[in-house]
Amino acid sequence: MTITATLEVFRCAPGGVDGRFESYDVTVHDNATVLDAIEAVWANHDRSLVFRHACHHASCGSCGVLVNGSEVLPCIVDLADALRQRSPVRVEPLRNLPLAGDLVVDVTGFFERMLASTMSITRTAEDALPLDADDDGGRSQAVSVPDGLARFNRFENCVECGICISACPTMATDERFRGPAMLAALGRARAESADPQQREHLLDLADGEHGVWRCHSSWECTQRCPQQVDPAESIMEQRREILRRRFRRRVR
Amino acid sequence: MAVSTPSGPSRVRSAGRWFDVRHRGPGTWAYALNRITGLALVGYLYIHLAVLSLLARGPGSYDRFVDLVRSPLFLALDLVLIAGWLIHALNGLRLTVVGLGFGVRAQRTMLVVATGAGLLALVVSAVLLFGD
Repeated sequence: MTITATLEVFRCAPGGVDGRFESYDVTVHDNATVLDAIEAVWANHDRSLVFRHACHHASCGSCGVLVNGSEVLPCIVDLADALRQRSPVRVEPLRNLPLAGDLVVDVTGFFERMLASTMSITRTAEDALPLDADDDGGRSQAVSVPDGLARFNRFENCVECGICISACPTMATDERFRGPAMLAALGRARAESADPQQREHLLDLADGEHGVWRCHSSWECTQRCPQQVDPAESIMEQRREILRRRFRRRVR
Repeated sequence: MAVSTPSGPSRVRSAGRWFDVRHRGPGTWAYALNRITGLALVGYLYIHLAVLSLLARGPGSYDRFVDLVRSPLFLALDLVLIAGWLIHALNGLRLTVVGLGFGVRAQRTMLVVATGAGLLALVVSAVLLFGD
């Protein structure tokens, strides 16, 4: 069984020059995802279409786009569902990041921020957990797990797709705002660190007018995150920690 | 470390995103309404001060104005003002509590409670305004 759909795809030159929507009719198998349909546009209509993808199962975080106005990973959105929402299905690049061309945004600055948070992109989650402290030569003994392993793991789930950056309305007007992903990563790195100096440093990075205090609580980052990371909760928790620290310093 | 947007939209167009609630969740509705009501209440403050300045021209001038604003049209506008004030005040309380890191996971519940309390207070206000 196949389905035929029309896709309205945003096309532009690097920097967003000559931005326009172009329509393409595609025929794909009936359990196809929106990413399958985008690939069909590339394969059957226009090999110059610029889009990014890798894993096809929401692990790599590279295919994030707007589908019918909402930030999603199109690799896990059924085309049939998108069609029920709106026909033709509209596909646009993420917002609040420089346009590199068509559906691709430049994530260089975004990744630099994630690196600054000290959250290692390549580390595996297991290395961070003290579950097998006897077997790993003591590597993970310095790690402290806060209350509830499930909550601890939630911030580990970030696939750095940039969806929260696109969804955040505050990000649109403050390009120096560190943004939900970096702030969540700072909170996560801080929860993991047992080094008091490092914990202070991470809290310093989160503090400031372009840090946690710039967030104006629309909760879109948490609403849109495809991995249930909940950056907004992390931002608010770090605010509480910063306030607690200021209070302690004053009464000392 | 800043995310550069050399060819990005202008700041005014970007600020328009604050009020773009299409495809957004209830949090963005609250976010946009808080901004709209905040701006409107600042505007109202100036109107209010201008009206109060009528007192400087003597009681007659002020009384004539008060007679005018007792009309149903102005009472309806009062209700709009009360609605704006309730949205800003109740959501502001929610944002203050949550924004300082307290009851973060109850923020959605707080939004529902604030909406309910606001609607109730608006109905009571309407009854008091138009009741007699």
